[in-house]
Amino acid sequence: MSSKKFIIATFILVALVQLYVPAKMILDQKKILKIGTEFKFKTAPVDPHDPFRGKYITLNYAENEIKVPEKENWITGEPVYVSLAIGKDGFAKIKSVAKEKPGNNVPFVKAKVRYVTDNGSNQLTIDYPFDRFYLEESKAYDAELIYQQLQQDTTQITYALVSINNGNAVIKDVLIRDKSIREVVKANQEKKK
Amino acid sequence: MRILKDIPELVKADVITPETADKIRNYYQSKGSASPNQLYIVFAIIGSILVGLGIILMMAHNWDELSRITKTFFAFLPLLLGQILCGYTLIKKQASTTWRESGSVFLFFAVGASIALVGQIYHIPGGTGTFLLTWMLLCLPLVYLMPSSGTSLLYLACLTYYVTHLDFGSSSNSYWYWLLLFGILPHYYQLYRKKPTSNFMIFHNWLIPLSIAIALVTVAKETEELLFIAYCSLFGFFILVGNLDFFAQQKLKNNSYKLIGTLGTMLLLFVLSFNGFWQNVSEELLSNNQIFTAPEWYAAVLITLFAGGLLFFRRRSKALITLPQLEPVFTFFIIIFIIGLFAPIAAGLVNLLILVIGILTMREGAAKSHLGVLNLGLLIITTLILCRFFDTDLSFVIRGLLFVLVGAGFFGANYWLLKKRKTNEQ
Repeated sequence: MSSKKFIIATFILVALVQLYVPAKMILDQKKILKIGTEFKFKTAPVDPHDPFRGKYITLNYAENEIKVPEKENWITGEPVYVSLAIGKDGFAKIKSVAKEKPGNNVPFVKAKVRYVTDNGSNQLTIDYPFDRFYLEESKAYDAELIYQQLQQDTTQITYALVSINNGNAVIKDVLIRDKSIREVVKANQEKKK
Repeated sequence: MRILKDIPELVKADVITPETADKIRNYYQSKGSASPNQLYIVFAIIGSILVGLGIILMMAHNWDELSRITKTFFAFLPLLLGQILCGYTLIKKQASTTWRESGSVFLFFAVGASIALVGQIYHIPGGTGTFLLTWMLLCLPLVYLMPSSGTSLLYLACLTYYVTHLDFGSSSNSYWYWLLLFGILPHYYQLYRKKPTSNFMIFHNWLIPLSIAIALVTVAKETEELLFIAYCSLFGFFILVGNLDFFAQQKLKNNSYKLIGTLGTMLLLFVLSFNGFWQNVSEELLSNNQIFTAPEWYAAVLITLFAGGLLFFRRRSKALITLPQLEPVFTFFIIIFIIGLFAPIAAGLVNLLILVIGILTMREGAAKSHLGVLNLGLLIITTLILCRFFDTDLSFVIRGLLFVLVGAGFFGANYWLLKKRKTNEQ
């Protein structure tokens, strides 16, 4: 094969990989959405932005702490497997954390250790990977404002609907009073007009 | 061009022969034909960067009105366009730098736009770091296949941006950065072999040492004090590289290695001339029994070995006297650092080192009759004294006297040099 042919063949290969990677990202997420278990996570959104991917709300989860026996075993940033259950209120509860992958019959999600308190209480805080929900530029700031207003009212619950399969998670939607945050913002913006 | 207009006059006045006139005209003609081409390349690259960034921004708006499928289609559209453009370039326009550069720069951004958009549409987890890493991995081959130096520069810039997004001190690490940096070095070498004086080469010369200097800090974990050795050796290494014949022959403003190395070394020395750092360095390091397995230790040893090796080769080829005085500074610094672990005199020694550098620089300025170098030496000493102004317990009178003395030194040295020049001219 001449060098030009070789270069073009390699280029086609690279181009295919460039197409494959985003396509694979989509397929993986679709699979989780399709066969995953749904969980509702109570949240606390704010509005930052990413120069490449636009506006999003960062989701902090209320259910992100668990007591662990020993502090020394856990390193910040280390991956952990969080086994989940659905609580009496219908929201996700942490059942346990482990360094090894749990069995397949338990729903679990792969997350990271944020830190462990060292005041003797040994509370381990978890960083969930599904912490971003992208919104249209014009809606992200209003979404944050609405959330702040609702925070004073404890009867109003904001939560993320997350689909989980084999440790991987995809956010389906963020809901306020069981309505999509997009709809809530849209209704609010129309009211203002 | 003015010289071309003057040629008839010069021929008429018998300053140059008609043959020389032709030679001059031919010279400028051949030179002139190259320059608009370069301008095209620059415009093409800037145009591609702007269009690429524009696409990313428009997509980042996140159009709610569009369905997921439509958005996904738009995510892949620029990627396909870029690939077709690059494929066409490879088949038909391989000889044209303009096509190669603009095509690959466009594809570079298209790849970024498409994975960003897919991430946004499907709320894919992961911060900017993971996103940049995927992006760079997908675009590295373009640098070699096309080949494209513009893509290489963008790659380096994004890679540096990536390394600043790593969490410090956590278990995330910068190994990927170093691996991907090594990925670009063959292209750098190709550039050095084929186009040593091109603008691309100059930009690479700036970006690579800057990127390394920024990234080295991410090695820090538990024993970050050792990084000072790593940095001092790194800057020493840059100075040594800058003094190699290839760089030494270039204009100072293009000798990025020498400038970054010199500035970095002096900054480091000034920071460490304060007592604060040295006060707890020994208890931090001597109580730590994992020093020899720390990444900072490996970085310090590795970089020092590189710098030491280069210093050794340069010393073999040249006498010590002719060595610019900053070259061996990193070796002195390591000795001071080790002394600092056992005795509280390290800050004093760093001050002494800076003073010696200042004096030697002044001496060089005097010997070469160079006012700039002479005043650089004085500036080093003044900065040193200014630093001491803020942290020592010296009495006001002594400090005042020091300032008056250095001020008088400024006047005296400059006056002396100017006078020496005048007598030389006479």
